Amino acid sequence: MSGLIVTPSVGRRAARRAGDWVPAAVVFVLAIVVWEGAISAFHIQQFLLPRPSDIVSTFWTNRHTLWPAGWTTFKEALGGFAFGSLGGVLVATVVGRFRVVGNALMPIAIAANAVPIIAFAPIANAWFNPLSSTSKMAIAGVLCFLPVMVNTMRGLQSADPRQIELMRSYAASELEIWRRVRVPTALPYLFTALKVASVLAMIGAIVAEYFGGAFNALGVLIRSDAQILDFQTAWAGILVASLLGLALYGAVVLAERLVVRWTPATREA
Amino acid sequence: MADAAVASPVPRRAVRTAAIARAAGRAGAVVAVMLALVGLWELYRWIWSSAGWTWPFVVDSTSMPHVWTILKAFGQPAQVNQPALINILLHKSLFTAKEAVVGFGLGAVIGFAIGVVLVHSRLLQRGFLPYIVGSQTIPILAIAPMVVVWVNPKLPGPFQGWGAVAVIAAYLTFFPVAINTLRGLQSADPRALELMRSYAASRWTVLWKLRVPSSLPYVFSAFRLAATASIVGAIIGELPSGLQSGLGGAILNFNQYYSLEPQELWATNIVAAALGILFFSVVVLLEKAVVRRAPENVA
Repeated sequence: MSGLIVTPSVGRRAARRAGDWVPAAVVFVLAIVVWEGAISAFHIQQFLLPRPSDIVSTFWTNRHTLWPAGWTTFKEALGGFAFGSLGGVLVATVVGRFRVVGNALMPIAIAANAVPIIAFAPIANAWFNPLSSTSKMAIAGVLCFLPVMVNTMRGLQSADPRQIELMRSYAASELEIWRRVRVPTALPYLFTALKVASVLAMIGAIVAEYFGGAFNALGVLIRSDAQILDFQTAWAGILVASLLGLALYGAVVLAERLVVRWTPATREA
Repeated sequence: MADAAVASPVPRRAVRTAAIARAAGRAGAVVAVMLALVGLWELYRWIWSSAGWTWPFVVDSTSMPHVWTILKAFGQPAQVNQPALINILLHKSLFTAKEAVVGFGLGAVIGFAIGVVLVHSRLLQRGFLPYIVGSQTIPILAIAPMVVVWVNPKLPGPFQGWGAVAVIAAYLTFFPVAINTLRGLQSADPRALELMRSYAASRWTVLWKLRVPSSLPYVFSAFRLAATASIVGAIIGELPSGLQSGLGGAILNFNQYYSLEPQELWATNIVAAALGILFFSVVVLLEKAVVRRAPENVA
């Protein structure tokens, strides 16, 4: 399509972009309508599934407790995401330089990735002060570290050998090859992992809070609301968690669009 | 590997010996890694406690019990008049594995079906894909209590109690499968697609003869992620549902006694880790049996 239109006018491009989002918007509206309708039609009890309108109004009345709690959790997730991803990239970069070490380490990393790390949240709480945000950051960080490291390593190794050979034949230094060939090939892999990690960070922070945390945190709030069967407030908390999770995910997608421009594959996901 | 064995004139016994040697090498590597981990653990413990460092956390027998203390805890009963901890934990992991397997199956089927439906309609993709991605930002632990209250009364007898946990495991499982199935079905060679169209092959034929075979490497790489996800989902799902028969319940329980008996929580977590790795390995073995072609860029 885009091959035919040489220079699409701004208006037309905007219209096409809007066209991309119309189906999603329609699904959204339909889902809300069906949700509201089903509750009235089948007399679903309030405590099982509140109406979307009730959730939003609960969210609004409790916004002074929910937003600060969400912010606390978001900071933990963000800290874990930053440390975990940075650590993953660093380790992969250092280890990726030495193929032998990388090959030896890969199976261990993959096995570690198969471990339900969330089960270690109570231990992280015991290691650090359970009321501090460090324990949550630690769990979120470990959750982010593994996929980022594995994918970065894979990405750094997936450079086309012909390109590397070409660079070598031009007497390019290893650093130059790394900068001009390896890093650009690794970036799409890195961003795939960062997208996964952004979701994991938020979930990790919330689950870690479930095992105990400061009272003004989202996980603690949702848990205590669900325990007293105040599901409306619990759902409002879930709404906040999802919005923040989406925001982090969206930020990564945006960064990917800005940084990775040359591979068409990134446009699918 | 098998093809090479047939093609080469090397006698069969030699091939088998080589295979045994390779397996032994791999087992040796696993043992070496375990020993290295134990060594690192004790070394870290020794350095930090003898130097008196308290960063990032205080090292003592509560925060980092000795490896042998943890190993000994396996053989001893956690409470008086109970079988050894390892027996209890094996029972509990069997229960959690049951939830995870059912959740994995449910999630894999649903995810695959979603992928198959979406690959046929660009419109549906645009309408639903954002929400499939968004579904994973919902903290599953948070909705687990609601799912338990909601799903459990509707389940038939044999699924009572743990069926809701399987549903939660399925919620985490379906996502990678759906995304990768879609990608895999789209990865069919366009020339082959064109050829089949030119023979007027029906959508169904194209799907089963071309799209599904070319999607398998992608689907299996999603299964690997899903195997871990289903264990995580099963453990998380048990937390708010008050189930005591699984590993999640054990973690919650031993967490309360952590300051007294930290080795029991550690032992439980080691079993949970082993279960995750075991599940993952089973999927990898299945993959080796089914898929011969490696995908080029499956992330």
